[in-house]
Amino acid sequence: MSAAYILAKDHLKSFVRKISKGSRLIAPVTNEYGDTLYSEINCLDSTQIDTQHQPQSSIKHFFLPQQESILSYSVSQAGEYHFSNILIGVPTVFFGVRSCDLAGLLYMDVIFSNPAKDPYYFKKRENSIIISLGCNEPFENCFCNATKSGPFLDFGFDLRFTDLGDRFLVEPGRKRGMEILEEFAYFFNDASEQDLKDQYQLQLESRSSFQQNVHVDLAIKKLANEEVGKDVWQDLADRCQDCGGCAYVCPTCTCFTITDQPVSESEGERVRSWDACTFAGFTRMVGGHNPVSSEHSLRRRFLHKLKYDVSLHNRTSCTGCGRCVGICFGGVDIIKFISAVCES
Amino acid sequence: MENKLQFVDLATSHGKKNSHPGIEHFEYSYKAEITNLYPLTKTEKLYQIQIVDPRERKDFTFQPGQFVMLELPGIGEAPFSISSSPIRHGDLELCIRRVGKMTNFLDRVKRGTKVGISGPFGTHFPVEEMVDNDILLIAGGLGIVPLRSPIMSVLENRSRYGRVDIIYGAREPLELLFTYQYGMWKQFDINLDIIVDKADDKWTGPVGLITEILQKRIDNGTPNDFRKKTNAIVCGPPVMFKFVCEMLIKAGLPMEKMFVSLERRMHCGRGKCCRCNIGSTYTCIEGPVFDYWSVLNLKEAI
Repeated sequence: MSAAYILAKDHLKSFVRKISKGSRLIAPVTNEYGDTLYSEINCLDSTQIDTQHQPQSSIKHFFLPQQESILSYSVSQAGEYHFSNILIGVPTVFFGVRSCDLAGLLYMDVIFSNPAKDPYYFKKRENSIIISLGCNEPFENCFCNATKSGPFLDFGFDLRFTDLGDRFLVEPGRKRGMEILEEFAYFFNDASEQDLKDQYQLQLESRSSFQQNVHVDLAIKKLANEEVGKDVWQDLADRCQDCGGCAYVCPTCTCFTITDQPVSESEGERVRSWDACTFAGFTRMVGGHNPVSSEHSLRRRFLHKLKYDVSLHNRTSCTGCGRCVGICFGGVDIIKFISAVCES
Repeated sequence: MENKLQFVDLATSHGKKNSHPGIEHFEYSYKAEITNLYPLTKTEKLYQIQIVDPRERKDFTFQPGQFVMLELPGIGEAPFSISSSPIRHGDLELCIRRVGKMTNFLDRVKRGTKVGISGPFGTHFPVEEMVDNDILLIAGGLGIVPLRSPIMSVLENRSRYGRVDIIYGAREPLELLFTYQYGMWKQFDINLDIIVDKADDKWTGPVGLITEILQKRIDNGTPNDFRKKTNAIVCGPPVMFKFVCEMLIKAGLPMEKMFVSLERRMHCGRGKCCRCNIGSTYTCIEGPVFDYWSVLNLKEAI
């Protein structure tokens, strides 16, 4: 990073208002029930951006919505049909994106660009500005230090904010971030040597305060060379309730299903919606044959993250956000799995 | 290990419209029409499907073993193996069993129904590389459907191949597919052996398992031929793969000369929906045709 700037905390709102003019603003907000979620902010005066808590869901659903119409079709009386693509990409500014979610987004970029570019995803992706926020304090279940996707991810963002107490350190990432800094230069001062030192100190402290000790690298190495014991799988499979919650909160779970939903006799929409490999019918074929048995569906999920993606993309697709650990009521979490692999 | 995210550089495409020229072709499907359909058995029908635009029809090329996605607006989209000859281009034949929601609908449609075809997808049987060799085509049940494309391809270039055997097993005589073509296949100097599990009154052929016929074929051949100049293409239920391929290995056939076609549920055909992957291998992209060596290296493949 060649340059760094300082934004006074008092100026945050006006800066965010400026850059999100004419576009949608998404930032973490804690609602009246106490849940922190990435939400659309319509009025910055009455809404407080929450930079203290980890959002409960990732930003995945803004790019791959839970249900999304991808094209509409119409069939004429003569049986002739016509398709038209529904490409929606509202210009959006994402503020306060955590490193794990950013890493998840970068992973989705890879998935949706190979081997064919997915227009529905990229329409949204290209209309987005990502402003990430480094995590000064890891949350309860975080282990992004072990997956090398945080707590301060060094690339992939347009702008990166670091909370230095009374001010933000702002660093540009991609070209668009540089352009923003130039356009709104009047908000910023150059960062001093001391500011950079403060940031470095914060990063060190953050890295050393993780509550979870997860040996992802060791697990990856072991998984690449050894079989996991049957009892490990059985133990996990016994407790999995097939709810799919882990896949839904996961920033990198992109499995989907495609269905045609008729609106009338002659018209309808093709809908893409989330699916999860832990669901019993995920791989079941029409004749009833299922090549993956139920205890193996969990194996698919964990090995996909820790083994298959390592061999395909040279990197695990677990970003260490820890959300699946918090959401699973059966205690089937990736941390336990990794520990079990390491111990075996 | 370099444990770093690769990422797609979006910086250059920011703010530009239509930066991907192929964007509108991602979901592109050819408009096609069911020109003819006729029942082959109680549950299977053969659909002749023609791409409407003559130019697109001519430009549509595929290899034996590949599959297409057939879509019916409002009903759905599903993958089907092509069972016609590649020289017919976009004049496809698909053999479809009535079994699920979409195929039950297909069972009721009439001539002239408009459908969509996208593809072709996947890998193919390398029939070009089998030139000058003997070919063993082994099918069980519906496995004859994806096998018919390489059969036709071999028939059309008959002089370029050595001995050609088709071994086909079905549950009962009434379930045999493409019965009207057996005479033609035989006339083209192809050894056709058919065996059924359960005979009926009219059946005069052998009764038993497909492996019995295969054993006879193996006993008739010389080990040298199997080792050096024989290729096998095997399609059928997963349990059949195992037995047949084991026998072929014992007969001396190299594993990389045995090809199988795997079945998986698929929704996108583009390696994204994660349904058809076996380990890190996506069947819709790196399959459905694999050589047996690769299959054995894929856990849970069969």
